[in-house]
Amino acid sequence: MALFEEQLTEVRNLLDGWRGSGSGRDFDCSAREPWPDGPSLVLEEETALELGNPSAASISLLIWSEGGGVEDGKVTLVGPDVAEAASASVPFGQVVIAGGTFPDEYESYRDVRDAVYDTRLAGFSVRTMPSRQSVWCRVSRDAAGRGFSLVDLGAALIDSLKSLDGVSGAQVVFVTAGVDEVKKLAGAAAGAQRIVDAMMKMYSEENYDCETCEYQDVCDTVMDLKKIRQKLAEGKGSG
Amino acid sequence: MILSVCGKGGVGKTTVSAVAAQALSREDGRRALVVDADPAGGLAVALGLEPRKTLNDVRKEIIEEVKAGGRDEKDLAVSLDYLLAEALTEQGNLALLSIGRPEDAGCYCKVNVILKDAIEGLAGRFDATIIDAEAGIEQVNRKVLSSVDYVLLVSDTSAKAVKVARTIKGVADQMIGGQGTGLLVNRARDADEAGAVERGTDLDVLGWVPEDDTVRRFDGEELSFLELPDCPARAAIVTALEKTGLI
Repeated sequence: MALFEEQLTEVRNLLDGWRGSGSGRDFDCSAREPWPDGPSLVLEEETALELGNPSAASISLLIWSEGGGVEDGKVTLVGPDVAEAASASVPFGQVVIAGGTFPDEYESYRDVRDAVYDTRLAGFSVRTMPSRQSVWCRVSRDAAGRGFSLVDLGAALIDSLKSLDGVSGAQVVFVTAGVDEVKKLAGAAAGAQRIVDAMMKMYSEENYDCETCEYQDVCDTVMDLKKIRQKLAEGKGSG
Repeated sequence: MILSVCGKGGVGKTTVSAVAAQALSREDGRRALVVDADPAGGLAVALGLEPRKTLNDVRKEIIEEVKAGGRDEKDLAVSLDYLLAEALTEQGNLALLSIGRPEDAGCYCKVNVILKDAIEGLAGRFDATIIDAEAGIEQVNRKVLSSVDYVLLVSDTSAKAVKVARTIKGVADQMIGGQGTGLLVNRARDADEAGAVERGTDLDVLGWVPEDDTVRRFDGEELSFLELPDCPARAAIVTALEKTGLI
């Protein structure tokens, strides 16, 4: 099985469901005017909308596909956009899918991840907690007043990813429809995180003893991880 | 601008810091970070704020992240940014960060360096930062306050407190360098008593703060200094803060 194949299938099934029920709205942002970059501090009193506050549900997921199927330039909103939210704080799910070729998995992952982490937009603050797979954002009243939309965020993430070598396309899904809808992403997010953690462990600890590794179950399922392990072990042996 | 309020224990640093925070809270369009760097946590009380999480809690969580493994520096940096944001207690244009009291043993120098960098990064996003420092010279000596622009020394009229202030200035000049420094004489009976302090020191004296029943009442009844009305002590502190360039 390819690295994030299971999570990709899960997300695509969710997308089909949301679109089928009419709760998923698609936006093509390929020709969208970019929202300006800017400082990322938004205090509570300046906030028009908070997404994924630590006391609310929040799930963030970053995966890639080498086998095609990425709907390049597409942002899908499941739930209200910034101007449509009925309350000042909403649960938040964010799925970022990059498409292309990722030959050096660890370096590729770090590049893709950093492109997401380093996306900074004026009037928008974003904070990420990788171990909780959560993301916490605030949209300032000023930005909301100037028409900031989650589609602008999606477009910025897609642009940032496509500036990387090897990335040929990207799509983003945002879920604000409610706790239950956001939590539908939990399985895919946890699975992706386990794969990333296993990969990080291989590279950082250089320990390839499967018998003592807590990620053995992950590698047993995701064959690409075994290939990475084999490549690293051979590299260590020849070094 | 980052201003640190330093001095001997019990001279009124927290009151000065609280008045500084209140003065900044009245400046529209300026965002201020208020750091309660005294483990006793008096500034949060003085401002009537209740932090849900302290910097020490953040430190413990980051140590757990490091111990769990699988996180590179970038992951740790964004995690720290998230946890620090969780630790901020916001009130209007102010955000309070309380240092808390370290309880666990062991050396976590690397974590402490990451924390220091993160706090400096956080401070850089605000228009002004006030640090209510721990009593004495320790935080200055350990370069915890290395990026401070101004060290506001606070003393009462006792020779011992002025001497501690002088020592702190010496350490700050050595460990920070290039920062502004001035002395505020707190709780003086009158101008004569404050003048005597000024004549006895080579420190640049910014002013003196009279004993004030309003401040005493706010302290005694644990009222929030964010609600402190105009009073002689407040006016004197604000005048001194204007000389530092903070407001």
